[in-house]
Amino acid sequence: MCEAPILVVGGGPAGASAAASLAEAGLPVLLIEQRDQLGGAIHRLPAPGNASHIWRPARHRRNWARLTARLQAAAGRIETHTQTVFLGVDGQDRFLLDDRSKGLVFTRRLRAAIIAVGAVETIRPFSGWELPGVMTAGGAQVLLKETGRPLEGPILIAGSGPLLPAIAAQLAKAGNPPVAVLERGRPWNAPGALARLALSWAPMSEAATYAATLARSRVPYRCGATVTQAEPDGDGLKVGIRIGEVQEFLHVRHLLIHDGIEPNRTGIPFPEPDADVPVLLAGDGREALGADAAILDGHRAAMQLLTRLGRANRAAASDERGLQRARDFQANLARALHSEPVVPAPETVICRCEGRIYADLATLAEDASAREIRLMGRFGLGACQGRFCGPMIAALRGQPLPVTTPPRWPLRPVSVAALARLTTDETE
Amino acid sequence: MKPKRFGPSLYGTNRFGMASSSPLHVAVIGTGIVGASAAHFLAAAGARVTLLDASGPAAGATGASDGAVSVASKRPGPMMDLARHARAFYVRNEREGLFRGLFHRRSTFLIARTAIEADLVAQHGGDLAAAGERVVEIDRATLLKRIPGLGASVCAALEIPDDGHALGYEITERLLQRSRVSVRRNAPVSEIVMRAGRACGVAVRNEFLPADAVLVAAGIGSAPLLGLGEILLPRKGQMAVTDRATAGGPAIDGHLMAASYLAAKRGIVRDNSHIGLVIDPLMTGQFLIGGSREDHRGDHTTDAVTIAAILREALDLYPPLAGRRVLRSFAGVRTASRDGLPIVGLHPHRTGVVIATGFEGDGICLGPFMGASAARLLLGERPEADLSALSPQRFARVEAHV
Repeated sequence: MCEAPILVVGGGPAGASAAASLAEAGLPVLLIEQRDQLGGAIHRLPAPGNASHIWRPARHRRNWARLTARLQAAAGRIETHTQTVFLGVDGQDRFLLDDRSKGLVFTRRLRAAIIAVGAVETIRPFSGWELPGVMTAGGAQVLLKETGRPLEGPILIAGSGPLLPAIAAQLAKAGNPPVAVLERGRPWNAPGALARLALSWAPMSEAATYAATLARSRVPYRCGATVTQAEPDGDGLKVGIRIGEVQEFLHVRHLLIHDGIEPNRTGIPFPEPDADVPVLLAGDGREALGADAAILDGHRAAMQLLTRLGRANRAAASDERGLQRARDFQANLARALHSEPVVPAPETVICRCEGRIYADLATLAEDASAREIRLMGRFGLGACQGRFCGPMIAALRGQPLPVTTPPRWPLRPVSVAALARLTTDETE
Repeated sequence: MKPKRFGPSLYGTNRFGMASSSPLHVAVIGTGIVGASAAHFLAAAGARVTLLDASGPAAGATGASDGAVSVASKRPGPMMDLARHARAFYVRNEREGLFRGLFHRRSTFLIARTAIEADLVAQHGGDLAAAGERVVEIDRATLLKRIPGLGASVCAALEIPDDGHALGYEITERLLQRSRVSVRRNAPVSEIVMRAGRACGVAVRNEFLPADAVLVAAGIGSAPLLGLGEILLPRKGQMAVTDRATAGGPAIDGHLMAASYLAAKRGIVRDNSHIGLVIDPLMTGQFLIGGSREDHRGDHTTDAVTIAAILREALDLYPPLAGRRVLRSFAGVRTASRDGLPIVGLHPHRTGVVIATGFEGDGICLGPFMGASAARLLLGERPEADLSALSPQRFARVEAHV
């Protein structure tokens, strides 16, 4: 019988790093990636047939080239399935994998699993965020990387975090600079945090490049500025913005919003490093520390697993040091960009799948159970199963969402026909 | 021997020794569809209600079931008769406002895919007609007009036109809203406290909550409270929900119930891997597809092998489902009694305790009516239907002879 493989879910930097590290140690790896190519959100490659001229920092390009080379060198031990979506773990501990190219769901006997499914973007809801023309900045960045073309027409970018200047600079370099970047935070109010951030060479040099690009394209970057509402306006949007005490309106075609990232944990099995089939998390899906840290974290998870399987004992102190640096950087960034939460207007959409609004959320009892939030509130019942609205609801309720036990599968909608064609390698 | 009625004495000799001017105080254990209904009708009659749940409203089978308010699916005998009362109760309360907008009339189609199944469907149709139910024979061509796309194997069908649909958690929520009885969540009752042979309250963790009477409507949680571990058993059902086939309203014109479901309900098949197939078109345009019947399984996990088997059955009956996506799978735990009938009535020897549990897969259909009936028993009134077949006394008798 073949040796049971180690499943690695996610072909981004953390998953690729974990897969390469395990294969280099001589273990068979089953690497699955939901898109048609490896790379994850950060190293997303142009769709076939598209020549991409999207500028990205040299450091990221180097990192991905190295990971790709390592995967190729160990290709004999890595079985890669692209267009394959992790559906979760069922009640009999099967890891369910939806191969969308073949149209069937399959499971395998596994030795262990490393789950590296990255982060989800969060937003702070305002009236109109669900309208066509509004999309997340991360979604827009993926689109840009895949198509090689910027969105057309005037673009406004708003929210908080380092992704805002990054996507703004990429759009500028691609030929359509945004009309403005609105950062919710007021970093100048946190000079201590700002000073410590300045000591982090790699991200700060990246930030300097973005700043220079934005300055060249005359893109205003305003701090302490927020979007208060958006409404349809011809073939675009009329966007209400507030800068300090001043309320203004801007007419744009696209509004890109983003308020940071959180580990994608909705329905992901709990890490159990000591179970018979150990499960570990890696990368932004474990702790949102960014792309560089994800590579270290994938390696760290692989080493932890090898130790657990008695194959090695190389707890890499350098990984931990690098992760701690990233953790400090993120903490300082959060301090610098901190802003108080705002209670949305009652009619603000919270769950876009089911069209539920803030007033619906506010009527739920404070100690409502997971089932009440889902069934009576109808939050988290739609196609995203709470992956997108979950963090928003937790932030608005000021408490973590009660966990649904057992974790639900499928994590993503799956074709009835594909699931009916379930294939297992169980000998029953 | 008929169980002794304690009802009329409740007002006279409550624990405070007060006269009937003091309202009856009932502790209702369980905020599923039965407990919520009982609480509503008790409050409407002027009683004071302490409504408790180990978790929260609709946390058990009520919130994890299909929404069939169906006489068509019932076993012949008292269940079929009581289901007709219970469905009429829905119709009346939808008309009078309590359930307005939540109960929808729709047909159930009993569907056969083999000659043996056709015999079973015909026999079941005969039983329904004998109980007074309208039963319409429907040929394949007519059926295909009603439900386009039905599978090639479908060979015979009956339509039961007077059935309906309601979601258990919506009914529960409505009952709670209307009654204004507040729910104590996360309040697991550890004991029904007795004094001099009659109930005087319940214990929640280390807290004593006084009451004149107690209703146990806690589903499978009723077993440890009443010592019914040998009589009640969990029967897990796994289900899947699809995305929307239509933007609004049900995607097909009726509830599809395969003969395999009837076979399970009539006790012809008892097998944990048996699929009793139903395809329930929800008001949202989604489909709810079930389900398994797994005895002695009280967990809420779902497994891909069972869900895939349910979907294969469903695709054979209704191939257009191939174009849908499964959004989620879930499991509900039905509370079944050893003889297959619910347990509703006065506790055989604990005065002041009423039981309403063991509804198996029929709780959404029977729940509101049974909750109202339990309220009547607690108030010392006669229920609207003869519940003697469901009396807890039947197990007390068996126990006494053992």
